[in-house]
Amino acid sequence: MAAVAAAVAPTRMEFLKLKQRVSLAQRGHDLLREKMDALVIEFFEVLRNIGKARAGALKQLSLAHQAISVCSAVMGTIETRQASREAKRELEVEISTRYVMGIVVPTLEVERVERDALARGYSLHTTSSLLDEASKEFEKALGLLVKLAELEESARAIARELERTKRRVNALEYILIPRLKAALKFIEMRLDEMERENFSRLKRIKAMLEAMA
Amino acid sequence: MSYKVAVIGDADTATGFALAGVSYTYVHVDKDRTLAKLTEFMASEEIGLVLITHPIAEELGAEFRRMMRMKKLLPVVLRISDKTGYIPKVDELYELIKRTVGAEIVVRAEEG
Amino acid sequence: MNADRVLKFELSRLNVHLPERRISLKEALESTKPQVATRDGSIHRFKREELDLLAKTVPEAGWEKLYLPILIALDPKLGRGAARITGGAEAKVVGQILGKKSMGEELLIYRPEVAVVRRKLPTTTQYFFVPR
Repeated sequence: MAAVAAAVAPTRMEFLKLKQRVSLAQRGHDLLREKMDALVIEFFEVLRNIGKARAGALKQLSLAHQAISVCSAVMGTIETRQASREAKRELEVEISTRYVMGIVVPTLEVERVERDALARGYSLHTTSSLLDEASKEFEKALGLLVKLAELEESARAIARELERTKRRVNALEYILIPRLKAALKFIEMRLDEMERENFSRLKRIKAMLEAMA
Repeated sequence: MSYKVAVIGDADTATGFALAGVSYTYVHVDKDRTLAKLTEFMASEEIGLVLITHPIAEELGAEFRRMMRMKKLLPVVLRISDKTGYIPKVDELYELIKRTVGAEIVVRAEEG
Repeated sequence: MNADRVLKFELSRLNVHLPERRISLKEALESTKPQVATRDGSIHRFKREELDLLAKTVPEAGWEKLYLPILIALDPKLGRGAARITGGAEAKVVGQILGKKSMGEELLIYRPEVAVVRRKLPTTTQYFFVPR
């Protein structure tokens, strides 16, 4: 630390430059800490929504599994599996990105998961309405899961940015700013010292001149 | 952009989601083959969302966790419950919160 | 100095999510796709349900005076945990939503209130980091 300070010439100019750097670092630290606080608010809000979404998805999945159990029991497991192979399986999810406070966050949207029995693709003659029920419950579950996926990815993205910002704040608070302030103090002391030496030298010269006169 | 969905689970899970329109399903048999399938799904440009059940994700263990750490933005991977409704005791997201924000803030939030 | 460069970069990123130009509530309500263009080149959409909430809270005569997104200003000078809403119309509507009175052109709110505002109006409010 003294080595860092010694590398800078103890001039008034350096002193002023360092003072500016301390000011910038301090301002940066305070602003980034505000950002960190804001990210924490956003983070907890997403987490709250995740809690709700997870509970909803769990419940719906449970319903869906019950429905398909019933269907398999009545229609037969093999027939149910066969129907799933016949179904139209072209579902698409729209994935794009959104910016939340400068963070890239994915958005997932699914246009219409729930379909008519006719639209699903399996033969209505050879299958039971229980199959329609089971399919509908799984379609509902899928819709909820797509929303949950978006929330969980958002939480991760915010967490990453929060960690980064926290690291910057800590680096400023515990490393950079103390170093700069120490260097500033060192220069200030040297400048004072030099001024005192200068002052006493002038006094001696004056005394000598007076003695000569 | 539009993407397809993939599901890795037991037979009932796979059947159910196939009926819901999911394009790619895989029924888990053993760890190695499922890991290979997962790698295939992760590499596919077509697949934007992969659903995998909690018990299987747990069985895949450290290798799965490594893949999740190293993966790119897409596909999004979501762990879901299967017919047993099993949810692991260690919640990955909860651990993330503790690491990010500190345990004491979590406690405060739970109380508040 | 590398640390200074990183710092300047982080600071330049702070408000990059904000729009180039804000639009009035009136304009947003009349539009089929209420949105603004942000400084980082993307589109920020306002949710219809939030616009409806604002329309219900603010009398129609005031719709063209309320500009969106409402900015939640975070200024280190205010101290940690405090934020400021500037603009008479904006301060008034936030005050009403929080159930507190606003006097004049600005309103000071505190951390828990910020969370409430963000929860009720997630797309029609944005954080603004005050540079100096």
